[in-house]
Amino acid sequence: MSIDWVTVLAQIANFLVLVWLLKRFLYKPILNGIDSREAEIAAQMSEAARAQQKAAAAEADFVAQKQQLLAGQAALVEQVRQKAEQQRDALLTEAREKLEQERQDTLAHLSRERERFTTELYKASAETLYQLAGRALHDLADERLEEHIALHVVSQLTPLSEELASAADNAEEAVATTHAPLPEGARQEVKAALQALVPGLPLRFATDDSQSPGLVLRIGSTQLDWTVDSYTDELVGLLEERLASGESGRMRDHGE
Amino acid sequence: MQLTPDETTVFTLWGLGINETVVNTWIVMALLTGASILVTRKLRPDVPPNRWRTTLEVIVTGIQRQIEEISPQSSRHVLYFSGTLFLFIALSNLLLVVPGFTPPTSSLSTTAALALAVLIAVPLFGITRQGIAGYLKTYIQPSVIMLPFNIISEFSRGISLAIRLYGNVMSGAVIAGILLGIAPFFFPVVMDVLGLLTGLIQAYIFAILATVYISSATAIVKKPENKEEDR
Repeated sequence: MSIDWVTVLAQIANFLVLVWLLKRFLYKPILNGIDSREAEIAAQMSEAARAQQKAAAAEADFVAQKQQLLAGQAALVEQVRQKAEQQRDALLTEAREKLEQERQDTLAHLSRERERFTTELYKASAETLYQLAGRALHDLADERLEEHIALHVVSQLTPLSEELASAADNAEEAVATTHAPLPEGARQEVKAALQALVPGLPLRFATDDSQSPGLVLRIGSTQLDWTVDSYTDELVGLLEERLASGESGRMRDHGE
Repeated sequence: MQLTPDETTVFTLWGLGINETVVNTWIVMALLTGASILVTRKLRPDVPPNRWRTTLEVIVTGIQRQIEEISPQSSRHVLYFSGTLFLFIALSNLLLVVPGFTPPTSSLSTTAALALAVLIAVPLFGITRQGIAGYLKTYIQPSVIMLPFNIISEFSRGISLAIRLYGNVMSGAVIAGILLGIAPFFFPVVMDVLGLLTGLIQAYIFAILATVYISSATAIVKKPENKEEDR
């Protein structure tokens, strides 16, 4: 056991070389790599922290937007609901008004129908009455009736004196036509009454089978009828006038 | 029985005999440097470390952590020095299991060289850190009377380092050789395993002691706080 000083020096030199080699190829690369990796990790961590902060901010923003959206949605739903209710009320009101209008129209239509039916009924009744009256008068008409009518004419001429006088100016004669021949007494009375009103105008009596029972007096172009037909026509006229006035009054009573 | 590989000359270069110690040292150096170059040749920060690089990182950071525990203000130069000591001694001792390979650390010349390196490195680190005056002042601390004792202590450190390492490694090799003669099948294996453990422990102790010496040399001596008051 001895120390070889040449070997000692060689080993010192070897050791120093080894220190340099390991410093060059081991320690520096490894430690620098660790340092750079640590720096990179630190940078990544800080980047991750920034990304996390950004994500947190984005999340907060998203939550706020979501809440805002939800609030807006609720308001929108409420608005739509109110609008729907208003529209429903409007539709209901419109439907009610329409129904009321239709009801009023139906009532008016019914009223008009009833009025028309009543009018038709009255007209039919009047027509029937007219026919019955005419038929009854025709059936009952005879010389006596025409005589009575002639005597009645005598009393009716006086109010017509002016018309008769003007008609007689252009006439040569007056003609009294009956369905059947008048009795002589009646003829004289009619003649006397006419002469009293229109003196000098000759009166001729004639018969016409087609004429309605009664007396028709023609002076020139003027004709005065006192026949069954003229009476029934007058009756019809009165009835129609009466119906026209009676219908409206009756309808008003119903309306009230 | 050959106790040191210094006596075996492997080849002669320019008339100088290269013994087994130097050659085996070169082998260890080649292994360490080659492994380092292989692992760190394509080292890029953007590439994830592979298992070999991770292994080296664990070893280097482990050494660095041990040094920082002893001396928190230590520079990287301490890591280069103490880490190289540890790696060289550890690998040399681990290669004990290779048949025919005599660890260079089983040579007293090698351990003496390493101890001398420590002996030289300690004042160099101290002077670098504190300056010549500051370092030399540590020899007269706490008083001038302690100067010879500090000098003796300084040299005894180197001697103890060298002898401790040499004795442990050489004794392990010698005991393994003796047991190989007595019981060739069982005891050598056990002793080799024990030798590996002892070798690693010795490497650790040597590197740690070197670091402690460097740390004590680089520690700045604080002045007493009551000095102002005394004035």
